[in-house]
Amino acid sequence: MTRSMLGLALVLLVAGRATLSGGGLPAGQAPPAASPAAKNPHLGNPQSIRSGMALYRIKCADCHGLDASGYRGPDLTAVMAAGATDERLFQTIRKGVPGTDMPAARELDTPDDDLLMMIAYLRKIGSVAPAEKPVGNVENGGRLFAAQCASCHRVAGRGGRIGPDLTRVGATRSRAALTREIRTPSEWITPAFETVTVVTKDGQRIRGTKKNEDVFSIQVMDARERIQGYMKSNLQDIIYDTTSLMPNFGPDRLSDRDLSDLLGYLMSLRG
Amino acid sequence: MRALLMIVIASATLAAQGGPPRVTSQDLLDGLRDPTRWLTNGGEYSGQRHSPLTQITPENVDQLVAQWTFQTGTLGSFQTTPVVIDGVLYVTGFNNNAWAIDARSGRQIWRYRRELPDDIRLCCSAVNRGFAVLGDRLFMATLDAHLIALDMQTGSVLFDVELADYRLGYSATVAPLVVKDKVIVGIAGAEYGIRGFIDAFDVQTGTRAWRFYTVPGPDDPGGRSWPVGDAYKRGGGSIWVTGTYDPQLNTVFYGTGNPGPDYYSSAREGDNLYTASLVALDADTGQLRWHYQFTPHDVHDWDSTQVPVLADLTINNQPRKVVMFANRNGFFYTIDRVTGKVIVAKPFVTTTWAREIGTDGRPVLLPGHLPDEDGEKTCPDLGGGTNFMSPSYDPATRLFFVTARETCATFFAYDQPFKPGEQYTGGATSRPRDQKNFGALRAIDPVTASMKWEFRYPTTSAAGVLTTGSGLVFAGDGDGNVMAFESRTGKNLWHYQLGFAMRSTAGTTYMLDGRQYLLVPSGSALTAFALPQKR
Repeated sequence: MTRSMLGLALVLLVAGRATLSGGGLPAGQAPPAASPAAKNPHLGNPQSIRSGMALYRIKCADCHGLDASGYRGPDLTAVMAAGATDERLFQTIRKGVPGTDMPAARELDTPDDDLLMMIAYLRKIGSVAPAEKPVGNVENGGRLFAAQCASCHRVAGRGGRIGPDLTRVGATRSRAALTREIRTPSEWITPAFETVTVVTKDGQRIRGTKKNEDVFSIQVMDARERIQGYMKSNLQDIIYDTTSLMPNFGPDRLSDRDLSDLLGYLMSLRG
Repeated sequence: MRALLMIVIASATLAAQGGPPRVTSQDLLDGLRDPTRWLTNGGEYSGQRHSPLTQITPENVDQLVAQWTFQTGTLGSFQTTPVVIDGVLYVTGFNNNAWAIDARSGRQIWRYRRELPDDIRLCCSAVNRGFAVLGDRLFMATLDAHLIALDMQTGSVLFDVELADYRLGYSATVAPLVVKDKVIVGIAGAEYGIRGFIDAFDVQTGTRAWRFYTVPGPDDPGGRSWPVGDAYKRGGGSIWVTGTYDPQLNTVFYGTGNPGPDYYSSAREGDNLYTASLVALDADTGQLRWHYQFTPHDVHDWDSTQVPVLADLTINNQPRKVVMFANRNGFFYTIDRVTGKVIVAKPFVTTTWAREIGTDGRPVLLPGHLPDEDGEKTCPDLGGGTNFMSPSYDPATRLFFVTARETCATFFAYDQPFKPGEQYTGGATSRPRDQKNFGALRAIDPVTASMKWEFRYPTTSAAGVLTTGSGLVFAGDGDGNVMAFESRTGKNLWHYQLGFAMRSTAGTTYMLDGRQYLLVPSGSALTAFALPQKR
């Protein structure tokens, strides 16, 4: 927690400095130094690539997948295939992506050299990755979303609140991850969206998503989007469900073609 | 008569100016005998963190009411144990701020703020774990690796000595320990390739009396447990949790930190003494009396910087002087503190890396737990079965109470070149996707190392534990609750949501104006509880 706060403070500091220097450089002041990634000594160096792989697995693979093809986070091979420069990659890793799960890599924890080795590794695997497949019909995907998803998911202030807000989902999820989360949503449930049923002492059953919990209390959003906390001592039972409130959208419910259109729409949502 | 009165006033003024020693060495030896005071990190030299106070009982603890809250107004969390003397609290906080606070009202009396360099290297936040005290002086270790003495009345600096060069990654967060005329302190920074040590300084002059390196040199005893070359110079072995002291044996006991680099085995073949160990040192000279290494050649960042708790037990009808140690590696140990030999050792959480502790005292390793680039899963995780949060021992129930963590992690390791002043871990960890970690307060019988009861928490906790003579255990979960339990049964009797989890802090308790207070640091706040005042 403290480390996150420090990280946040650092981001704010960086942002503050950026704002201060936003009015242009005073006369005589040197222009900003070029990104260290502009001249990466580790590109193509087998030893550096090996170290970069180790660093990537430790710091990135949990979200972006062991092979960088995306898991919860975006498919990095696709990002590179779409033309992201090394400077852009460096900048994104160093500063994180505000409003997403992507944290800033503090210089004290991750020196420039580590970042450059990670980029050398990504370039090595990215150079053989297939390009992203063409997306589906975005317009039809939008219609499908409105009909099947919007009652639970919100985009740009419209839609339901039971499921996660998807306003920026195209910037934070790979197509593979979205496919998994649509076809089999219970495989991985975002924290604060786990399913729970609380049973009050008078037998009332309230099903919803668990927002928080400690030894003595639990906080829930019910199917009517009402948020409410309960003292466990006042409850008869709490049933923890490993199944997501979101149903499986298998091929019988959403054809492969419709899925492709829906993915096209979701990937266009970048906030 | 008037002349006599003048003399009396003059004497009183002089006494106030000169300030007679307010805390003596005998006071420190007496520990919690004076119920208005809490003078050392663990309350007593034994580190038992057990108060004899009995006003708050299992019957009335549910009537506890918050009396006041002190907010630091600074970013960052407390990891401190407040010192309590004559109605005043002396408290260290984030970024080397410190305060004297009125224990009756929670109002600040003075504040100390250290100017810190911008380029200090800290693995784990800008915390401090508390003051030590002797006479009218407070002693504090600083993030830029100094030891300072402060005037108890004003917070002004009396001496300031450097322990090591912070630019090379050295730092200090531990609460010092005063023994006789020396103040003992240790150094941290094992994630930056430092060589750990324990120092003792003269309390008056700040002159160094002795140094014990937790990583021996090539020609020292134990030096062959490191590869030939410079590995020992960056071998780690940090000290960041306060040790304990046995006056009869004139011995101090300290748990030592992980070897460096944390995870990459090939950089430091051998047992890597005296890292991940318990060291027993002569309090006057710093000479090593014995050592016991919990985790030879540790590759999971399992610092043994837990509190070595001292007690006298009867085992097999024999009186034994023991040191009890719930280790980050997942095992609980009862060790003879005269000889350093293990009496009994068993896991107190799920452990997958060792089958047992052998009769020779070494862990019997299980295969497949050497981290590499592909990663290997081991339980517990790097946070360990427990960590730096204080345990407590209640001599009446003869139970040891500890905040336990049920966790696993995937450990990765890779070759990392050493650069002075930069992080040097040689790897890191991640949580397996299907891993569900949780915490618990556990009561352990130190004679058999078996668990007597537990109270589970939905998430892991880093809260310390306090016990009292009325049969209460105070602990905290990972979600901001401070709680009271019946020590014999583990029955939960009271809780209060603090708004921030107790991260390595534990309750302290003391008498003031006839009332027993429970003081709890959490987040950037101190909260004092007491029973309702009778009117």
